[in-house]
Amino acid sequence: MRYRALAFGAALAAVAVMAGHTVAGQSPAAPAKKAIPRTPDGQPDLQGYWTNSTYVPLERPDKVTKALYTESEFAALVKDAASREAEQTEPGTVADVHYDFSQFGLDRSQSAFVKNDLRTSMIVDPATGRMPPLTEEGKKRAADRAAERRRAGATTDAVQNMPIGTRCLIMAGSGPPMMNAGYNSNYQIVQSPGYVTILVEMIHDARIIPIVDGKQAALPASMTQWMGDSRGHWDGDTLVIETTNLNGKNPFRGSSEKMKVTERLWRIDANTLGYKFTIDDPGTWTQPWTAEAPMTKSVGPIFEHACHEGNYGVRNTLAGARLEDRKAAEAAAKKTSN
Amino acid sequence: MRTKHVLLALGAVLVAAVPLAAHHAFSAEFDVKQPITIKGTLVKWEMINPHSWFHLEVKDPDGKVTEWMIEGGSPNSLIRVGVTKYSLQIGMELLVEGYRAKDASNTAVGRNFTLPDGKRLFVGSAGGPDAPPAK
Amino acid sequence: MHIRFRAPALAVAGALAVVFGVIVSAGQATPYRAPRGPDGKPNLNGIWQALNEADWDIEGHSAGPGRVMALGAEDAVIPGLGVVEGGPLPYLPAAAAKKKANFEKRLTLDPEIKCYLPGVPRAMYLPQPFQILQSQKHIMMAFQYAGAVRTIYMADQTPAPADSWMGWSNGKWEGDTLVIDTTGFNDLSWFDRAGNFHSDELHVVERITATGPDHLNYEATIEDKKVFSRPWKMSMPLYRRKDKGARLLEFRCVEFVEDLIYGALRKGAK
Repeated sequence: MRYRALAFGAALAAVAVMAGHTVAGQSPAAPAKKAIPRTPDGQPDLQGYWTNSTYVPLERPDKVTKALYTESEFAALVKDAASREAEQTEPGTVADVHYDFSQFGLDRSQSAFVKNDLRTSMIVDPATGRMPPLTEEGKKRAADRAAERRRAGATTDAVQNMPIGTRCLIMAGSGPPMMNAGYNSNYQIVQSPGYVTILVEMIHDARIIPIVDGKQAALPASMTQWMGDSRGHWDGDTLVIETTNLNGKNPFRGSSEKMKVTERLWRIDANTLGYKFTIDDPGTWTQPWTAEAPMTKSVGPIFEHACHEGNYGVRNTLAGARLEDRKAAEAAAKKTSN
Repeated sequence: MRTKHVLLALGAVLVAAVPLAAHHAFSAEFDVKQPITIKGTLVKWEMINPHSWFHLEVKDPDGKVTEWMIEGGSPNSLIRVGVTKYSLQIGMELLVEGYRAKDASNTAVGRNFTLPDGKRLFVGSAGGPDAPPAK
Repeated sequence: MHIRFRAPALAVAGALAVVFGVIVSAGQATPYRAPRGPDGKPNLNGIWQALNEADWDIEGHSAGPGRVMALGAEDAVIPGLGVVEGGPLPYLPAAAAKKKANFEKRLTLDPEIKCYLPGVPRAMYLPQPFQILQSQKHIMMAFQYAGAVRTIYMADQTPAPADSWMGWSNGKWEGDTLVIDTTGFNDLSWFDRAGNFHSDELHVVERITATGPDHLNYEATIEDKKVFSRPWKMSMPLYRRKDKGARLLEFRCVEFVEDLIYGALRKGAK
């Protein structure tokens, strides 16, 4: 379903205005007149299958200063990206060593995406469309992490040296904040009394958000989790999710374990959810920053993504590297004995 | 026809922002120096994650049969358009161009999967949503 | 029917209690009727957990030594009366031999040790809580162990598109009972730590009924023509977790088993 750019922008701005948000680059418009559907217990109904697949980058590209592309610029970018996803790469090059994503429907152009989000960045605050500067602590942490990676050795030395997604621990779609996962970037939202559950396709993570009425205690600071501890409440018709107690093992763009993520999720229309997140991590960035990444209606079902159970890739990669080590050792031994 | 694509400055940053293969370093698992073309009959298609696996029985000129395991993509998008475990016929012939695994086993990643008539698997024909289920 | 007695009318109350007591003991007690949720269906929402030893062994079993000497009594098998109804599991002869082999090699073969998804019905009686989240078209069951998830389709039902660890579940209400029909299993999960297993023809029909505000009755009928000579049934109570602030926590166990699974392939390993 295609939206005219102005209609999408107006709707986004309208609901944003109603919910008290600011959306960079949108024109003001009359408030939405349609009633929002509700669950049987009266909550705004956000349920369904949704995707955050998008061509909008988190940060504004280097040579771009404006907040919005024109429709034709955006169409050209999408077309170019889609053709690059579908192109046959040069055989015998490293880029050629993978299955063709488009053959399995895994490329973004074959997925639904918010078609008329013309923004040049997801980040809406700062107005530069880029993350604020790092603090000294943030810079040091980045340097320490890089040094640790070098000290640990090659990614093929041990499974713990591989990216956490390759290890099937957690992927970008979970966060929080929830980011485009590259493919299978889908969510299923199910609402039940007192809870909003967001099932993230990869890796079958169920974010169970309790609607806090003040009675649910927060986890103590000593208890941290990969997805942290999330608590939700309704601000009008917007779901606000506050997350703390992250364990820092899945840093978001260099964040610390003290990062606090505040997400807002609201229904824009039958086919669109608004999604906005604010990152508050004074140990990493000089100021909080905010990004918007609306979701569009997707198609179900969400098939079980049993990643660890089928992870032949890690085993094959390590086995191959050990074989290469042995061959190199044999070749070296041969050399010295000659 | 394979052509090198000229990148637009803006577009390059757009695509770079999305981790298309971030979760899996294919060239660490499969050997760019060992391209391979395999023709065989499908004996099993594991519709699993993070990658599906096609098991092909390959007969060499002497009649010796070996079983190959070929890596393909996550089945989740295919399931969304109606492909099921019954969509591919056991016994169908597949032609796979790809790269051998570095661990010297009969394993490869399938760059292209094609049918004997040259059509690409899942793209508009056998196994696609328009095709009648093979069950 | 709910009769209220006023305190002063104790004698009358006493007499009536005897009368009703007689009726109750004659077997005409009204079964518990779960309050309805906002969707008008029995409200099974909540955090639940089995309180038995079925994950050790679904059949009746005595205590026994564990698998790892260094873990002493902490790994020893906890005795249990079993949850299987009607005698020993009806394995076909070849399957019975495989079960025996599974038991002997359980330390290397039990998928739970490797943090693999638990399958059904094992997920329902793991020693960790799970949460039922009811919506009109879907009932989600989220399990603390390995973050496993079951989606029960209450509408828009289809057959299983492919095999999975947790199967493909279609559900419906029969009065106060949630009936779940699950197929599309792979053959990789076990029923317990004792090596009881199934094939990819496993078919599970579960019936879940509230028996009180904090109790569910859980039954599962197992059918698998490749492994068992006839269908068989298990049943058990499930208990609501009433701890203050009860919630599912993360048991993301993959990182705890990486060295177990891949350690031999580490550079420099011997």
